[in-house]
Amino acid sequence: MTTYTQTIRAQKREDTDRLMNLIGRISVHLTLTILALCCLVPLLMILSASFTDEIALTRNGYTLIPSEFSTAAYELIFRSPTAILRAYAVTIFTTVVGTIIALTLMSMLAYVLSRPDFVFRKPLSFFVFFTMLFNGGIVPYYILMTQYLRVQDTVFALLLPYFVVGFYVLILRTYFAGLPEELLDAARVDGASEWRIFWSVAIPLAKPALATIALFTALNYWNDWTTPLYFIRNADLYPLQYLLYIIQSNAQAMQIQSSVGMNLGEVPTQTARMAMAILATGPAAVFFLFFQRYLIRGVTLGAFK
Amino acid sequence: MTGRYSRRSFLKGIGLAAAAGGLSLSGLSGIKRAAAARRFQDLPRLIYIFPGGAQPDVATVQDALSEYMAERIGATIELRAIDWGAFNDQIGLINASAENYDLAFTAPWTNNYYSNVDQEYLAPIGDLLPQLAPNYWASMTPETWEAARVGGDIYAGINQQTFVKPFGPYIRADVLEAIGAAADFNGLSSYDAMSPILAAVKEYVDNDDTLTHVTYYLDTIMVAENWGFDPVDGLLVVKSTDASAQVQIFSETDEFRQGAELVRSWLEAGYAPNDPATLGSGDEAWAAGLFAMRVSDIVKPGGNAEAESRWGVPVASKAIAEPLLTTGSVTATLNGVSSVSANRELAVQFLELVNSDPVFYNTLCKGVQGVHWDWADEAQQLIKPAGDAASFGDTGYAPNTDWMYGNVFNSYYTDPTQVGAWPETAALNRSARPSPVLGFTFDRAAVDTEVASVAAVVDEFANPIRGGFADPATAIPALNEALQAAGIGAIRDEMQRQVDEWLAAKA
Repeated sequence: MTTYTQTIRAQKREDTDRLMNLIGRISVHLTLTILALCCLVPLLMILSASFTDEIALTRNGYTLIPSEFSTAAYELIFRSPTAILRAYAVTIFTTVVGTIIALTLMSMLAYVLSRPDFVFRKPLSFFVFFTMLFNGGIVPYYILMTQYLRVQDTVFALLLPYFVVGFYVLILRTYFAGLPEELLDAARVDGASEWRIFWSVAIPLAKPALATIALFTALNYWNDWTTPLYFIRNADLYPLQYLLYIIQSNAQAMQIQSSVGMNLGEVPTQTARMAMAILATGPAAVFFLFFQRYLIRGVTLGAFK
Repeated sequence: MTGRYSRRSFLKGIGLAAAAGGLSLSGLSGIKRAAAARRFQDLPRLIYIFPGGAQPDVATVQDALSEYMAERIGATIELRAIDWGAFNDQIGLINASAENYDLAFTAPWTNNYYSNVDQEYLAPIGDLLPQLAPNYWASMTPETWEAARVGGDIYAGINQQTFVKPFGPYIRADVLEAIGAAADFNGLSSYDAMSPILAAVKEYVDNDDTLTHVTYYLDTIMVAENWGFDPVDGLLVVKSTDASAQVQIFSETDEFRQGAELVRSWLEAGYAPNDPATLGSGDEAWAAGLFAMRVSDIVKPGGNAEAESRWGVPVASKAIAEPLLTTGSVTATLNGVSSVSANRELAVQFLELVNSDPVFYNTLCKGVQGVHWDWADEAQQLIKPAGDAASFGDTGYAPNTDWMYGNVFNSYYTDPTQVGAWPETAALNRSARPSPVLGFTFDRAAVDTEVASVAAVVDEFANPIRGGFADPATAIPALNEALQAAGIGAIRDEMQRQVDEWLAAKA
């Protein structure tokens, strides 16, 4: 008898547990769905607007489904697609080359800083750490780049700023410091040089940390629009994000203009601006969807070693 | 066989000759350019920075301008256009880092003239102008030059353009004809008198398939100039007829209440959309043919032709506000000389050239004759795109910002309907009533905090009144109360003190 009530009770408890579980899961899914929609809907609006007839867009406003389908905006842009293609080339170049160089520099610096037998470990670590807390500000930065390094209007201006990021160096240093000292000693006993130890032992073991930093650095390069804002005047060197910024802000400048009674050349229409945004972000988004699992695998790779 | 051979050799010969000709031609122009470059090498090179997109063919124009300048003032020029979106940031950094340049576009609305003077980024040129740029100096009245004076000296050259910007209504010509109110429209002298016309237009709009509203927005009616005030700074205004220059708070005047009530009644009558934010910019809505009027916009000579090219329909317009010359309208477009420039005198001489020599100025504005433009009618100063280019935009050089470089009254017309607009505008500039505080600029430094909190109040309370979205009977007292709480009284007192000081110094 007791066993029976016990089973009933257990059953009940299980039921409520299951119910709570279900409610919890539904609420989590609901929240995530809403969040996902918040991200997706604006993108879909832009996509729809770029395929809408200009006049219909002005008349009906933004809708999720084009009120009057038209590809005029894309035709307008593809009449001279050089600007967008060039911007893609610049962005891809800085992202790939910049990430490779930055990763090499930062991992070498971090490895050295992680070695207890390095004499200048403390002052050099402090030097890296200090730049995280304090920087000279924008004007000294500008003077350094333009008057001492003289890299304005070159691709180096786009590459240099993210070569060594203090925070990433510290993350890498911590990771390198966590590697078992015995492994490095073993390599040394086997007669490996410092270079050999770094490239053949430390680097392969640090793959998970390197993958994470590589992802961050690549995103920095891909999304960077402030560096070109300060240092790039040559339109051939505009990266993608900056090109978008320029297109949007030129349209805004025109509005200021007309408010003081001046008129300013031609500015792409609303739909053309939307089409431009789709062309600039679309392929990147698709690439990300495609490579996402490799990226995640890369990040967790070696975690079980 | 021989015939074939000879034909082939003949063709080959032509090809060779053509190639040789091409070679010698390009060789010649190359030599010529090298010689020109050598000649220019020893001359100082002025760097001129201004906002605008990069023009593909800027090098040709730069060479032509340099050659022209080398002969006259012994200097050459480098044109540095910075994209609109980046101009303000980049010129700020260039100034702050004392990077070398000679001339830059400056104004109260971009590359701020007053803060540039404050930070000593611009060189004082008040003494140099009459001396080195006599024609330019004489082309404007002393009162006009006063507007560019800050704290005793002039730090930039004024670009003569449409200084006087009287506001008034624009209406589509077809609508005006259909309602048969042309005589009434052309006789308008106040906004109150516009109500019957608006009612007729509303009726027309209701029976039309494309048009949705009479007008896109109403808030421009509430600009202070429409009611006879000089908007010295935000809501602080001076009546244009008040020689004693009493500073008033615009929202406390009878005119403001009158205007607000008018705007409110028009919005309630359905003349404008209740939710203009979703309609995008006004131009696009106009081009889409949704509106029949603009109730209040800048009316100027040649304005109808400009409006037609922007909106695609013929329009009529009528100025209602009295033409008034204010500091703000004169200093809207300036070119300053950098304080780090080693060639101050040459820079001022450049200002003389660009403001008084039509050939030089138009080369900068429109490009090189025969390469970028050709005369359509030289007697009328009318030009057309060079060669078989369909528009100026296809010629490789068309910045289309004449007002940025110098005296726009010297610029060639690009549209037959514009011919004659410049002398009319110049006459309008001369006939305008100078504001009692023309030349005065308000130094906000002492009341910075109040200015910031007042701006927040204006956004929240004043803008709905301007658009007609709030009932003036309750909203205006609420606005004035909030303004007082934000410290507008202190700003008014400070401005009045500065105005009195300025008047005393002038007398």
